[in-house]
Amino acid sequence: MSFEPIGPTPAARAGKIALLVLPFLAGLLCVLLSFVPLSQILFIDVAPAFALMAVYYWAVHRPDVFPPYAVFAVGLLYDLLSAGPLGLWALVYLIVYGLVVSQRTLVVAQTFTVIWVGFLAAALVNGLLGWVLASFYFGQLLSVWGILGQMLATVALFPLFANLFQKLQDWLLVQG
Amino acid sequence: MIDQTNRPALPVRDVSGRVPLIFMVSLAAALLLLGRAETYVVDRARQVVTDLAAPLLELASRPVAAARRVVESTDQYAYVFDENERLRVENADLLEWKERAIQLEAKLARFEALLNVQVDPAISYVTGRVVGDSGGPFVETFIVNVGETHGVESGQAVIDTQGLLGRIVATGPDASRILLLTDLNSRVPVVIESTQVRAILSGDNSSTPRLDFLPPGSAIRAGDRVVTSGHGGLLPPGLPVGLVVDGGEGLYTVRTYSDRTKLDMVRVLQYVFPTEVDTQDPPPIFADGVKADAGSGAPAPAPSTGAAATPQAGGGT
Repeated sequence: MSFEPIGPTPAARAGKIALLVLPFLAGLLCVLLSFVPLSQILFIDVAPAFALMAVYYWAVHRPDVFPPYAVFAVGLLYDLLSAGPLGLWALVYLIVYGLVVSQRTLVVAQTFTVIWVGFLAAALVNGLLGWVLASFYFGQLLSVWGILGQMLATVALFPLFANLFQKLQDWLLVQG
Repeated sequence: MIDQTNRPALPVRDVSGRVPLIFMVSLAAALLLLGRAETYVVDRARQVVTDLAAPLLELASRPVAAARRVVESTDQYAYVFDENERLRVENADLLEWKERAIQLEAKLARFEALLNVQVDPAISYVTGRVVGDSGGPFVETFIVNVGETHGVESGQAVIDTQGLLGRIVATGPDASRILLLTDLNSRVPVVIESTQVRAILSGDNSSTPRLDFLPPGSAIRAGDRVVTSGHGGLLPPGLPVGLVVDGGEGLYTVRTYSDRTKLDMVRVLQYVFPTEVDTQDPPPIFADGVKADAGSGAPAPAPSTGAAATPQAGGGT
């Protein structure tokens, strides 16, 4: 697990700060990426939930560097930018994060396929929760196709982002 | 929560980590409940965040737009001959229409002058680039990179090259948010052009918004043109919206002319309700006389119509 040195050397301290800050920044960037008009070239209606990938990846591999505050901040940024119900995705991401962290021993040491299947489950929970909460919020049954398509696209793109996060994690370990 | 402590590999930190998690979950739930009130603070926070994110999004949207143009242009190369042939035919057709339009325009100008019609004021506009996608499955809003400094205000209509797209719902100094016609919260007064039947176009998060409050038994057919009615004074009348689609069981939806999947540049119309305009634009030939009147003082509309009527009487004979 995590044995980052808490030494007094400035380099080690900088490494520790980077370890805490960079995954969080990556999460925020993922939120921003959701708002880049990618739908114009990806031929999908709703942009994939890149932030969910970050939440899941760090919840599985290093929950200590992606604490609940970070999950909340990422979800809240998504809510603020999307003009949807404030707190919706913050709440959903936190619940998904809690579930994943509690079950992470099932997938953490397994092959990538198992982690991917775990992500599929997390995305389904995420989609269902989001849909139920939003339906309650707006007081009507919303169409499920939007969120279903979004979750499918998110699951399909997960390997690419997991790879990027893996690189970041490796690099941080070397630095720390 | 308690059974986790039995697991061998979990360090103590993970268990103590639940406290912040529970705190954060409660905070998010509280926000969700409080946010329903849509207070000023919430709106303000949204706008500040949007304004901060807009430059980053604009930077990121450029390569996407460039990539899309490359894809489109390769598409066009494949069909360049077909396209050319089609355009020739269309051009011949349009030239005929142009002839008719010029004749009708002249006729209309003469009638308007004869009848002393108050001409609708010209609508100025500002063009911006869509930099932010809707980014969520339950909301249909876009971020556009023009804001208060460019004269954009809440309520102004936004059109793309084909027709009405939505309206501005929030503005910051340099970025604004467009509420699309398809959003759950969008309600736009429209009129079916052929029959002048009025209705409200309600978004429902599907790609085809619904026509609500149609008078019972109104003669409405699939394929009828739908335009904004201008009722309520927020949107200018006559903006093309879309075509009626028959959804069956008395339900009619509208396929919008605007295409939300191909947005690049959009136009924000700075429409002002005619009664709030000091001077209304007369036909151009009388512009000189009116300018003199407008410069002299406040009661502009009355002198301008007078000025319009007198010379036209001479011109008409």
